[in-house]
Amino acid sequence: MIDDSCYMAPLHLAGRLILENGGETYRVEETITRMGHAFGFTEVESFAVPSGIFISYRKSDGTIETAVKRVRKRGTDLTRVDAVNAISRQLEQEKLSCEEVMARLQAVEYRKAQLSKIQLMMAVALSSAGWAVMFGGGVADLTIAFLVAFLVQGLAFLMDRAGMRSFVSTLAGSFLSSILPMLFHLLTGLLTVDAAVAACLMPMLPGLAMTNAVQDTMRGDMVSGIASATSALLTATMIAAGALIGTTVFRLLTGGVAL
Amino acid sequence: MTDTLTLLGQGLIIFLSSSVGTFGFAIFMHAPKRAWLPASVIGGAAYLTYWALLQMNVYEPLSMFIGALLGSLLGQYCARRMRMIATIFLLLGMIPLVPGLGLYRCMHYLAQEMYSAGADAGVRAMVDIVMIAFGLGFGSYIFRVFTPSRAAKEALK
Repeated sequence: MIDDSCYMAPLHLAGRLILENGGETYRVEETITRMGHAFGFTEVESFAVPSGIFISYRKSDGTIETAVKRVRKRGTDLTRVDAVNAISRQLEQEKLSCEEVMARLQAVEYRKAQLSKIQLMMAVALSSAGWAVMFGGGVADLTIAFLVAFLVQGLAFLMDRAGMRSFVSTLAGSFLSSILPMLFHLLTGLLTVDAAVAACLMPMLPGLAMTNAVQDTMRGDMVSGIASATSALLTATMIAAGALIGTTVFRLLTGGVAL
Repeated sequence: MTDTLTLLGQGLIIFLSSSVGTFGFAIFMHAPKRAWLPASVIGGAAYLTYWALLQMNVYEPLSMFIGALLGSLLGQYCARRMRMIATIFLLLGMIPLVPGLGLYRCMHYLAQEMYSAGADAGVRAMVDIVMIAFGLGFGSYIFRVFTPSRAAKEALK
């Protein structure tokens, strides 16, 4: 008799890759169920929350295979989420063996980063420069937003490498994003401070958590929806706290100069 | 005539700047390369809609809702057409609307002990966030109702 236990590994890996790279929990559940059915199992159940995945399916000998996976790593790589989604859809179209699917998923997992850290810092800086103009800033705001965002993202990468929690780097980043443009304005008299600071803060805002919270809630997954909304709220609070500290420190340094 | 041209010019700058902002963010989020450009256009269109409605003195939360709704519908459409996950386009379409300026102004006023102005800016930012969520959710809902996927159509047969 064929041992159906081998199918658990690709199901888990697919779910984990989606969850670790910023996908919604409903997508994890849908992908696992779809893949399970494509492998030929009629009874497949999956339950995902932002911190873990539960999977079970009935094997051909009638017994149930169940496994739980705790997911600790959290990041954002939408290309990986899209690639896993594409593999699961391909599996529905053509018959692939367990090993083939596993190999394709592992290729996604170990795929080298497409862009270097410097390129990512440039992307964030470009983004902030765009926001600065969008918020009504001029050439000076654009330039400062570009430089500060580049610096803040570099710091975030360094803090991440040092193993610091993401909320610490968010707090430090929002502090620098608010105080540096203010100091520049104080020294040169240039800049629409509001536009430059807000532009530097934009890349840190929890857009993905917010989108996932809405998407999960819309599909009736309240637990994941609330978890993502809480995560978004926590990040927004850290950004607000960093900006508040930055503004307060600036006032203390300048003897109460208001901008 | 001059006013109209000035407004059109401002609109163009708003569209281009929000598209550039979204483009950079798409790269940072590791979105697939072929999604960078359409997602940027969606982000630009959503923010331009919000901005244009504000210029027409439309109530701000309603402008935000309509901007987010448009971003959501365009995002879902693009995802379906390009056979990609909707998250990419929804996230990037919403990003320019997230009230970063409002959040900063709230903290700025609070730090200067201007509590009522801070509370006002904070509440406005929160209302904007809720409106984005409504627009995003409502857009996803109506898209699914009016344009069911092939799988859903087959299930209904």
